[in-house]
Amino acid sequence: MFRKEFVEEIRKARQRYEEEVNQILKRIPDADQEYVTFSGTPVKPLYSPEDIQDIDFLQEVSFPGQYPFTRGVFPAGYLSRGLHIRQVTGFGTAEETNQRWKFLLSKGANALSFVCDDGSGCRADSDDPRVRGMVGAGGVAMDTLYDYETLFDGIDIRKISVHMISYSAYSLACYLAIAESRGIEFKNLRGSMSNVIRNDVECLDIIEYCARNVPLFNAGYLDMRNTREGGCTATQEIAFGTALAMAAADALIERGLKIDDFHHRMTWFVNAGPEIFEEVAKFRAIRKVWAMIFKERYGAKDPRSLMARMHCQIYAPTMTMQQPFNNLIRGTIYALGAVMGGVQSLHVNSFDEALALPTEFSATLSVRTQQIIELETGITKVTDPLGGSYYIEWLTKKLEDEAIEIIDKIQEMGGAFKAWDWMCSEIRNAAMNNQVEFETGQRLLVGVNTLVDEDDIQMRALKVLQENADFDTLYEYSPAFAEKQVARLNKVRSERDPKAVQKAKRRLAEALKVGQNMIPPLMEAVKCGLTRGEFAQVKAEILDMPGGGPYVCSPPAVLA
Amino acid sequence: MERIRFLLSRDDWYHQRGYWVVARILSDAGVEVILGGIQTPEEIVQTAVHEDADIIGYRLMDASPPVVCEILFDELRKRGLEEIPVVVGGIVSEKDEKLIKEMGVKEVFRPFDSFEKIQERVKALVQKTGKRENPKN
Repeated sequence: MFRKEFVEEIRKARQRYEEEVNQILKRIPDADQEYVTFSGTPVKPLYSPEDIQDIDFLQEVSFPGQYPFTRGVFPAGYLSRGLHIRQVTGFGTAEETNQRWKFLLSKGANALSFVCDDGSGCRADSDDPRVRGMVGAGGVAMDTLYDYETLFDGIDIRKISVHMISYSAYSLACYLAIAESRGIEFKNLRGSMSNVIRNDVECLDIIEYCARNVPLFNAGYLDMRNTREGGCTATQEIAFGTALAMAAADALIERGLKIDDFHHRMTWFVNAGPEIFEEVAKFRAIRKVWAMIFKERYGAKDPRSLMARMHCQIYAPTMTMQQPFNNLIRGTIYALGAVMGGVQSLHVNSFDEALALPTEFSATLSVRTQQIIELETGITKVTDPLGGSYYIEWLTKKLEDEAIEIIDKIQEMGGAFKAWDWMCSEIRNAAMNNQVEFETGQRLLVGVNTLVDEDDIQMRALKVLQENADFDTLYEYSPAFAEKQVARLNKVRSERDPKAVQKAKRRLAEALKVGQNMIPPLMEAVKCGLTRGEFAQVKAEILDMPGGGPYVCSPPAVLA
Repeated sequence: MERIRFLLSRDDWYHQRGYWVVARILSDAGVEVILGGIQTPEEIVQTAVHEDADIIGYRLMDASPPVVCEILFDELRKRGLEEIPVVVGGIVSEKDEKLIKEMGVKEVFRPFDSFEKIQERVKALVQKTGKRENPKN
């Protein structure tokens, strides 16, 4: 990045500096111990132009909106596209979640997201004995199109970006049915879903159908956020996500699509943890690796195919139940990493993350965290504000190099679908290493392995609030949700035309048998009142997928 | 010397970190961990019988603890297996912890409980049942 003579001058100056600093450090106990980042990169106490001399600015860093997009996918950063404040929501029935959505919008959230209570959409209906205790518990119960209609009531999907945390073609079919009923043409329909990349016909059908019919819908999803929660490192987050997208691209190209037909609708779900500079470097490296791989190895030409767009949810394993208000501070710091790293959309975990689902009270604080960052700090006024920092540029390059190495290893193993088990074992090893660091106190966590309060006054304060507030301060699951949901389900069952359902089911089964795309017949079926459990049943029978637990057919796993 | 047989099952498949870490912590302490995977309470009891488990570990994420634990204990009682200790791991509210302990759950493990606590507690619970003579290692 610099002239040779300049680097030589810097080298000499650095040596003089080091002599001086070493004199100081000698006198400080343990100062010679190497610091290793949260994701395992040893770092020096100082960086200078020497460390980035081999980086070519125009080729590797460049400008926002320009290849390789290291500094951001949009030329004007947040100035042209403000941060999407998108808090995950989902509990009870569609009615409760719709109300929470409207509440969040009233507080200034500008994007929405709901999480289903079934994780994958392969689960049984809400009155099945296998799902007792789970209906509307970890998400919103969504059994039929009627539930989707209730959830989307008063929500203008032309104007507001909605994400569905569901991997199921069932959710897409219902979303499309709603768009159709509102007269929105599919070619103009926006939205996104957690169609996590996995080796499964449903995943590929969704992407293929949208590539051909719903071209603005973000149909493919790299859920590295939850893989990171599972314990992987920042580098693995970059590498595994990219490798999965490559595996999906290979499979879709085999179906006769071209890379630019679908790849621009692949989006990332990323994490932002405690080590914020490493996270900023990671977001930059994701964008760069993404652009390079799909340009050089897949020949993508549409610039949109080279832009890694990201929704971020901050790291949860370090959100502690001890001293719970500390999580407000953690949430703010982690969110800063995400915003300085240029993510498009953000969820900040609530301070009561380790205790329960968020309440209106705690979710509002998550929204306010983002608003304060956006409105009061000026961070969003300068694009890629940390670009050019010797440390950040060095770390970006380091993470990039290491990620490429892992990607190449996965490719040698036959691609991400074949390397799935290897990746899982890598994640679990990393999780264990991380846990051992906390267990031994090698890595500190306030309130847990250091600065522990015998008398946790924050917890006491929260309890005082709970006892005295005339609003909810701690979410509690109500078994009444299940009764209410079963009533909603039975209403649909009693009002639908059984003959039409049977006919739609047969058509769906036929498509699955002969390998036709399942979305069109599924859309017809949901309009007739087919339930999610019935869909799962048809899929399990035709594709011969084993069930287990609350699942009718085996859940397509997120890498973890 | 026979090793303790610990059946580790979970309610749902999201967020498995605790599940795998606990499996590792226990097997490092010489416990034979049987990975039940995602199971309903009924399936857990069937597996416990089939695998001759000494103790059941139930990781809860999405499920309401009192609802699923009640089903689990009903099933255990039906088969006369109520002496098998049950421990739960996950985010469980104080209120739910009280309820499930009344039902018979012996311990609730939470994030950042020490390795030693988990290892020692599991061994002590099995020793109490006297099923394995010497569950050391």
